Amino acid sequence: MWLPILGLLLGIGIGSTLAIPIPGIYAKYLSVAVLAALDSVFGGLRSIIEDKFDGTVLLTGFFTNAMLAALLAYMGDRLGVDLYLAAVFVFGVRIFQNLAIIRREMLANWMQKRNLSALGAKKDG
Amino acid sequence: MDNVKKWRTPVLIVFLLLGVLISVQFHAQQIFRSDLSLQSTDDLTLILKGLQDKRANLEKELQDLEQQQQALNSDTTNGASLARNLTKESNQLEIAFGLIPVKGPGITVTIPPDSNIVYLDLVDIINELWSSQAEAISINDQRITAWTTIYWNKEKMTITVNGADITFPCTIKAIGNPDTLEAGLRLLGGVLDNLAVYKIYPVVQRSSELDLPGAAPPVFHYLQPVQ
Repeated sequence: MWLPILGLLLGIGIGSTLAIPIPGIYAKYLSVAVLAALDSVFGGLRSIIEDKFDGTVLLTGFFTNAMLAALLAYMGDRLGVDLYLAAVFVFGVRIFQNLAIIRREMLANWMQKRNLSALGAKKDG
Repeated sequence: MDNVKKWRTPVLIVFLLLGVLISVQFHAQQIFRSDLSLQSTDDLTLILKGLQDKRANLEKELQDLEQQQQALNSDTTNGASLARNLTKESNQLEIAFGLIPVKGPGITVTIPPDSNIVYLDLVDIINELWSSQAEAISINDQRITAWTTIYWNKEKMTITVNGADITFPCTIKAIGNPDTLEAGLRLLGGVLDNLAVYKIYPVVQRSSELDLPGAAPPVFHYLQPVQ
């Protein structure tokens, strides 16, 4: 259960120690990639809770989403269209949706454990 | 929760990569913020204006400080020249008052021992020397100044100059033009002629270099300058 958090901390540590220099102009695309990655991660968490988890889908989604988002943002810059904003909007909305679903599911599980009606919580949501 | 094994590895990988991404992006963003070429024009204008104001202020401060320095420098120069002038003046006054030792050409008048001399004779000689344009006079290393006393000490039975007893042979030194000084003493019917009447024959010698001592400075208790 705590392994993912440990992995996250380890990743942050590796990133800080490596301190890979990113040229300022690419920082924007990297930020979109991070947003896409976050979206994939929350999607994965949601699928775990919903018992629909597939490791392949998560991994491919993680990489392709991040890369496509960065690529699209770059293309948008080249074409003079702010696709960057579209990516921010879409991923932002999806992250909040996923978070809301995760919260509801967890709340429902918790209610079930306390032998209370899960239906009531689901109706409220 | 049986399928923990199923999702553990992919989720670990994903979280690890997410951590790396986040920290790299964090660093990049920090660099981005401190990079001027990536700031918006408005921000750059603001920064430029702020720096220009700062620069103007600093330039003004620099000017003020330079002016201050100049003022201080001129003060120092004034002070130094004032001090020089004061030293010069004080030196001249000390010379005029006979407070510091002096040297120069002049004559020496030696009165031999066992002379039947009285203190008025000494006063006569000194007066004659002053009127012959002597610039400094001493008797037996007692400098003659404005407050010098020459009198007969009845108790000790000696002539006293500045409170010091005169021993013989008595030497009177005078700085000035040796010719003028000697001529003044040897004037017909002058001091030496008068002394000769009493069989006193002082020896007059010319000197190219005489050393006269300085007198002790006077102490004033009541005196005050009139403004």
